[in-house]
Amino acid sequence: MKITDTINSLEELNFDLKYEVKNNNELYVTVKADQIRKIVLICVELYKFNYICEFSIEDKERSINCVFSNSKQGYYVICRYVTENHPIDLSNIIYQSRLFQREINKDFDYKVKEVSGTGAYQVAVGPVHAGIIEPGHFRFSVMGEPIENLEIRLRYKHRGIEKQCEDINANSLNLMFERVSGESTVAYGEAYAILVEKIQDLEVSKEIKAFRTVLLELERIYNYMDDLGGIANDIGYSYVAKKFGYFSEIIHQLCERVSGSRFMRNAIVPLGINIDFNEKKKNDIIETLQSLKSRVSSIYKMSLNAVSFLDRVEDTGMVSRVIAKKLCMTGVVARACNLKYDVRVAFPYELYKEIKKGINIESKGGVFERYKLKGLELNDAFNFIEKALTYINTDIKREKKEICLKEGFEAIVSVETVKGELVVYALTGKENKFSRIYFKTPSFTNWPGVSEAVLGEIIPDFPLINKSFNMSYSENDR
Amino acid sequence: MNNIFDRIKYGTETIKDPLKSNEFSYGKIIAKENVCDNCEKCTNICLVDAIKINTVGNCEHQVNIDNKKCIYCRNCIDICPKSVLNMSSDYKMAELELAGDKLREKIYNTFKRSLVLRVIDTGSCNACMSELSALQNTFYDISRFGINVAASPRHADGLVVTGPVTKNMKEALEKTYHAMAQPKIVIAVGSCAYNGGLFKEGDGVYDVVKNILPVDLVIPGCPPSPQAIIFGLLKLMDKI
Repeated sequence: MKITDTINSLEELNFDLKYEVKNNNELYVTVKADQIRKIVLICVELYKFNYICEFSIEDKERSINCVFSNSKQGYYVICRYVTENHPIDLSNIIYQSRLFQREINKDFDYKVKEVSGTGAYQVAVGPVHAGIIEPGHFRFSVMGEPIENLEIRLRYKHRGIEKQCEDINANSLNLMFERVSGESTVAYGEAYAILVEKIQDLEVSKEIKAFRTVLLELERIYNYMDDLGGIANDIGYSYVAKKFGYFSEIIHQLCERVSGSRFMRNAIVPLGINIDFNEKKKNDIIETLQSLKSRVSSIYKMSLNAVSFLDRVEDTGMVSRVIAKKLCMTGVVARACNLKYDVRVAFPYELYKEIKKGINIESKGGVFERYKLKGLELNDAFNFIEKALTYINTDIKREKKEICLKEGFEAIVSVETVKGELVVYALTGKENKFSRIYFKTPSFTNWPGVSEAVLGEIIPDFPLINKSFNMSYSENDR
Repeated sequence: MNNIFDRIKYGTETIKDPLKSNEFSYGKIIAKENVCDNCEKCTNICLVDAIKINTVGNCEHQVNIDNKKCIYCRNCIDICPKSVLNMSSDYKMAELELAGDKLREKIYNTFKRSLVLRVIDTGSCNACMSELSALQNTFYDISRFGINVAASPRHADGLVVTGPVTKNMKEALEKTYHAMAQPKIVIAVGSCAYNGGLFKEGDGVYDVVKNILPVDLVIPGCPPSPQAIIFGLLKLMDKI
C-alpha cells in the first residue's frame, strides 16, 4: 500500500483528518484527541503498520506524536494530536506504548511485579556491577532455581541529551549525536548527516556515499567481534574470546589509520565527509580485512565445533516471535526471532539499496541464534566493504559545508545501528538550531526483551543472555 | 585441539611494548606562537570552552588549549584561517593531580608493584568503557604491568571513573568510594570525567568527579586510547 493509498483509504473512513506529506516518505496526519484511539487501532490492525514510538513536542502547544512505519513500501505515518492535559493511554491497543507513556505522561504509575510464595526470593544486582560495564539495576525474582521475573531499572545515566541538542549550533551538533552511544558513533553521525540532507533535500556524491558505507560497516565489524568474543568469554571459552578481542583491536587500529580516531569520531558530517581518502588508505583497508577474513571464520568455526560451547548456548534465553513483535524489538535480536525487518532494506540509505540483498534471519530466538546471526552479519560486513570500495575510484577530498537551516522544517530518519533500528525526529528552530530532537534508540525497545529471555533460566545464565543482547545503557538513558 | 593448531600456526599475537609511538593517534594540540590574530573563530566553535586566547603586550596573541577539557574533535584546527593550531600524535597526556603534598607520593609508592582497580561508569557514552575493556585484550594485556580489575570495591586500590556524574549515579559513586579501603586513589578517565565534556550542562548531570571526590590522576581524551590509559596508570605507579 503506497502513501497515496493510505490517504485515500483513511479518507473513506470519514474522520475529520488533515494530511500532509513531507520529504516524500512522511505522512503527517493531524487527528482530534478523541479519535486517536480509533486511528491507531486502524493503523495497527487494518493496515498492519509497525509501531515505532510516541513522543511529545512542546512548541506553541503540546502535541503528541505516534509514529508508525510501513516497512514494505518504506514510509512513515505520524499521527499527531494536540492535548493540554494527559496524553491518551494507548497501552491496551499497543503493548509497548506503556514504555513511551512513562516518558510523556507525568502521572504514569509504574508498578514492580512481585513474586511471593514458598521459596520465592529476590536477588538485587547493580547499579555498580562487577566488571567493566555500565550501570543498571536488575532485580531477579526467583523461585528455587528458575527466574520468575526480572525487573530492569535503567536511567542511571540520564544526562538530558535531547534537551542539550537544542542549544548547539547545527554545524557542530554531529559531535553531540556521536556521543549518545560511543559504540555506535558512526551510525549516529550518519543519522545526523542524512537527517540534515533530508531536511535540505540535498544529496552527496556516490563516492562519499560509498565511503560512508565503508565506515558504517567497519563499525559493525568491531562491535560484532566484541559481541562474539563477549559471549565466548561468558561461557569460559577464553581462546575464542581473546582472539575476537585481538581482531577487534586490529580493526580499531585500522579505523585509527583511516580516520584518526579509534571510534571514527567526527568523520561523517552532513553534506560531506570530514576525512581524506586515497589509494593508500583503500589498499590498507583491503589488505587488513583480507588477512583477517579467513582467520575470523576459522575462529568462528572453532567455537561452533566445541560441544561445551554449544551446550551452553543452544536453547538458552529464548524469545518467541510473538513476544518479539509485541515488544517491538529491532535489529539482530529481532531477526534471531524470525522477524524479517532490516532498516537497510526497508529504508535504504547510502549504498545499501545496491549492495544489500535479502535479510538474514534465524527462527528460534535463543543465544545461539543471536551468535550465528552476528557471525553472518560480520561476514556480510566484510563483503559490503569490498563491494563499496569498488565504487570509489578517485581520491575523496575532505569537504565540510556550512549548514543553514530554515525554521519550521521537520524530518524523521532511521538508521540500522549495531543494536537495531535508530529513529531520529527533528524539528528545526531559530538561529540555525533545532527546537526538538527525539531519539528512539534501539536499546530502548530491546531491553524489555532481556527480561523476557531470562524467564525460566537460572541466574548464572543471565550474563550470557545479557551479553548476547549486548544492549547499550547509554543510548537507552540518553 | 583446534586451539593448539591455531596457536602454533599464528604464534603469540601481541606486542612487546604497548607504549610505542603511534603516528596515527590523536594527541596534544599545539599552537604556533605569534601567528594568531585573535579572530576568535576557534573559541566560538569549541563546544567545551577548552581554548583561551591571551593577549601579551604589543598585540601578540597566544592560544592556550586545555588538554583536559579538549574532546579532540579537530574542528578548531580546520576553522583556523592562519593554521595556528596543529595536532600532534603525542598521546601521553595523562597528568597527576598532586595537590602539593608528599603524603600522596608515599601512597603512590605503595601501589608500585600492583594496582587493583574498580571501574565505575557514571554517565559516559560507553566509548571509554569500551577502551577500558580493550586494555584486557591480548594486544595490550595490562596484567603484565600488575594492573588488574577487581569485581568488588573492597578489593580495590583505585577507582576508575568515566563520564560526568549524573544525579542518579551520585549516590552509587559515593558509596563505592567509601566502600574502598585506605589508602585509595581516584582516576578520571576521559575528558567528561574530569570536566563534564559535552554533557556538562545536561539536565541530569549533577557535577563532575573532581568536585565530588579527590582526583589523583586525569587521563584526557575522548575516548583516551588504551595506550594513553596505560601511560597514565604506569605514571601513577611510578614505572616511567
